Amino acid sequence: MDIISQLQEQVNTIALLAVNTFGTLQRDAPPVRLSTDYPEPAANSNPTNPNPTNGDANPNPNPNPSVNPSEEANNVAEQPKAMSAALVQAAKKFDALVAALPLSGEEAQLQRIAELQAENEAIGLELQKQLEAADLEMKQVQELFNHATDNCLNLKKPD
Amino acid sequence: MATGTAASFPPPPPFYRLYSDYSTDPDSAPPPPPPVEGSYPLYGATYTTEAVLPSLEDQGVRQLYPKGPNIDFKKELMSLNRDLQLHILELADVLIERPSQYARRVEDISLILRNMHHLLNSLRPHQARATLIHILESQIQRRKQAVEDIKRRREEAQKLLKESIQILDSQ
Repeated sequence: MDIISQLQEQVNTIALLAVNTFGTLQRDAPPVRLSTDYPEPAANSNPTNPNPTNGDANPNPNPNPSVNPSEEANNVAEQPKAMSAALVQAAKKFDALVAALPLSGEEAQLQRIAELQAENEAIGLELQKQLEAADLEMKQVQELFNHATDNCLNLKKPD
Repeated sequence: MATGTAASFPPPPPFYRLYSDYSTDPDSAPPPPPPVEGSYPLYGATYTTEAVLPSLEDQGVRQLYPKGPNIDFKKELMSLNRDLQLHILELADVLIERPSQYARRVEDISLILRNMHHLLNSLRPHQARATLIHILESQIQRRKQAVEDIKRRREEAQKLLKESIQILDSQ
């Protein structure tokens, strides 16, 4: 892909990363502690278990809810780091692409185009001359060949 | 059912009748219409044949980089990139402290992104000229190669003819 399209893609990528970052953080953010009067929500609550066979109050919390909070805490801490690293990487790549832009002035380009056109004209004329000379020579050679074959046919006597 | 739907559409334009004798006399048919220039209407909207990038003010967007005949694209793009990163950080701060005021920051970010895209689009004519230069150079290269080839072949042919004359003379 040419460099300008790559730059445009990179701008879109940066925008996409920013939007995803904020969306993910807002979606996965844990609730905020409003006041010290209210207790922290219990980590092991299992609201879908109305089973009366559980005599004592959950002596063995099933492993899933206890793994979830610590896992979530890890994710919530790691995600912003990973996402912000990706954002910074994308910005650096954009800077690298901008530095690699082969820019030159408009007048310089127009001048070069005029030079190239003149050179193209000159070499086009040369090519045409050569082609015409070669065509002429080819006709001459064909004439010669026809004469030679005619002579061969005339000289060759039937046995 | 087929005749009902067929009758509801208008017939195709009758221009085909003008070309009935085209195979015998190509000049009896009208020539193709000349290409359209300037602006033309199409399905109710007006389009123009001139390809020019509308400036940002025409699209109602504030231009953040300085105006002028010669814009230093690299410098402006890099400074817009830095601005973008700063604005993203600002948005993160605002969401933490005053979440209800996100709208202005989001608008700023989108403004910066539009400016960046406009700068990149205005680089396209430069790219077109560079492509033209590249095409001209490769065409000159090919023509030079062709001239060399023809010269070489002509010399070979001359040499062969001289040799064959020598052989015929010596016999």
